Amino acid sequence: MTLSPPSRGPRRGRRAPATRIWTWFMVPGTLWMTAFLIASLVLVAVLAVGTTDSLGNPRFGFDLSSVRALTDPAYSHVLLRSLGYSLLTCVICLLIAYPVAYTIALHGGRFKNAMIAAIVVPFFANYLVRMYGWSVVLSDDGPLLRALRSIGLADSGTKVLNTGTGVVAGLVYGFVVFMIIPLYAALERLDVSLIEAGRDLYGGPLRTFLFVTLPATRQGAAAGLVLVFLPAMGDFVSAQLMGGPDQIMIGNLIQDKFFQGQNWPLGSALTMMLMLVLLIGMLGYLRRTRKDEAEARG
Amino acid sequence: MSPEVPPPSRRTVLRAGACGLLSAAGASLSGCGFMPAKKPDERDLAPVRARVDGDLVYFNWADFVDPSVFKGFEKEYGVKVIQSNFDSMEGMVAKLNAGNRYDIVFPTAKWAQRLVRGGRLRRIDHSELANSHAVFGKHSYFADPWYDPGSAHTVPFTAYKTGIGWRRDRIGDLTGSWKDLWSDRARGKVFLLDDRDEVLGMGALHLGLDVSTADPGDLDRVTASLATLRPRLRGFSSDSYNNLLNGNALMTQAWSGDMAAMLNQAKDPSVFGFQAPKEGTPINSDCYAIPYNARHPGTAMLFIDYMLRPENVKKNIEYIGYPMPVSGSEEIYRALVKPFPECVVTEDDLKADLFFRNGSRAQEDARDTAWTHVKAG
Repeated sequence: MTLSPPSRGPRRGRRAPATRIWTWFMVPGTLWMTAFLIASLVLVAVLAVGTTDSLGNPRFGFDLSSVRALTDPAYSHVLLRSLGYSLLTCVICLLIAYPVAYTIALHGGRFKNAMIAAIVVPFFANYLVRMYGWSVVLSDDGPLLRALRSIGLADSGTKVLNTGTGVVAGLVYGFVVFMIIPLYAALERLDVSLIEAGRDLYGGPLRTFLFVTLPATRQGAAAGLVLVFLPAMGDFVSAQLMGGPDQIMIGNLIQDKFFQGQNWPLGSALTMMLMLVLLIGMLGYLRRTRKDEAEARG
Repeated sequence: MSPEVPPPSRRTVLRAGACGLLSAAGASLSGCGFMPAKKPDERDLAPVRARVDGDLVYFNWADFVDPSVFKGFEKEYGVKVIQSNFDSMEGMVAKLNAGNRYDIVFPTAKWAQRLVRGGRLRRIDHSELANSHAVFGKHSYFADPWYDPGSAHTVPFTAYKTGIGWRRDRIGDLTGSWKDLWSDRARGKVFLLDDRDEVLGMGALHLGLDVSTADPGDLDRVTASLATLRPRLRGFSSDSYNNLLNGNALMTQAWSGDMAAMLNQAKDPSVFGFQAPKEGTPINSDCYAIPYNARHPGTAMLFIDYMLRPENVKKNIEYIGYPMPVSGSEEIYRALVKPFPECVVTEDDLKADLFFRNGSRAQEDARDTAWTHVKAG
């Protein structure tokens, strides 16, 4: 981040020979991203106005019917639901991740790395497998409901699987680690003497937390929110394995278009619509971080 | 990034990016199915003799052939079976279209028709297959099926139908109709298959309409009727056998083969039921086919013939739970699915002809929109 003094003034004009090397270092990464990210994005954008042949294969062309199909209220309805689920997921992830990251960063001592590893390692397992496991845990005769029933907290009609709770639980479980890591990084960097200073100035624990710790880790939280929100918006696995008919997310519809529907153009148009929504959200985030940086520079 | 070194200018990055973009776009345009595909030569479509011409590159659903059958084939002909699997017909065809070369693939009827029409399959000379009479001689339906006139490019592999699987121990007996899905006894614990054709087909049959209807008026009626089922549903899932086994479903739309497989898993089969509703049950089949660009079509022919040997048919039926239209295997299957006699696919079932058909682009789009409305509510 911008802790070192900003390089302004005369330094800019005098380009060190080393610069060119750094430029070359960027070439492989740029090529990679261009080939596999930007080129495929361009393909998706072009296919959104494409057509399909009789075999269901996508063909390039210019046909606005897929774009027009987006006006079907079913899509905006499902998109709004996805937005709601993703925002809820973000909030829950933040509430879970903050105490975890705080405890590890400030009170973890020599177990810090081990604890972070304990959180990250389970995420090496494939996402689909973990979600499938969850659907077993949450099923009607699964361990969770059996335990709840035995202590009288659930009756035979209670269900978690195939409900909105199930889907959000799946999303939170799937992506919470993306919140913990940036928050941990922010808290780790936090100068503890700032907290001490707050306490010295007669701030209670709560006031110190609200006015010192929280603002200092705001950027970590913002990064975490973005990292959770983006994949949650595109997710279809959680809704497929843990949702019911009223929990379909936009990712499920997009997946349907590419597979069963054999309608890649409509799938591409939906993808572009989703990306547009996400882009608007991201612009807000970028403006915010730029403002933060400007403030930090004074 | 170190603040000591100013980042490369935007133009440098853009220039590098533009080069990458051009080369990537070039590669993707020339390689995949986005451009009109080249029609294969007549030479590539002509039948070949059944003889060893290399290892077998096999492409099918996972676990669809008894592993001991593969071993036997490898041993007898001194070749290797190189296996890969697909998880959807769409995925299979996408890989074929992308130019991947397989010796043998297993499309369902609807997809076989598309591949035949697209000139993607090599013709098969039945007289080269010593065991083919057990199929075409006895099961006349497959001698000239709608998806491949004269079975010129395909040999049928399995057949199955779609019905309702349910927990007899929890909700008792059903009435033998698709209307049972609306029954209050299972309310909130009913699943439909996560499959456009199956769900729209069920809705159409239950209203007495054509199983593959794409008529806008029909589709509106189907959508409206399924909207009344929606509040009773727990979800759309094709994992019907696990849903019944673990009690998440009391009733579910289900494929006969999955129900037969469930019999293997169940401790007490009498707690389950499977019915083929009287309004009509969608029927489907898949088949052996040799893509035009197969490197070893001769070995593929030998493999088909080997799979049709009575002892191998028996092994496979017992392994996967799907019946095969091979004369002599009917009793084996009947015995396997004794608790669910309606799993059996009879000649009459086939002649009722409730296969899902390919539609024109406009028809497919209409069905797709209807499915979105059924699913998204």
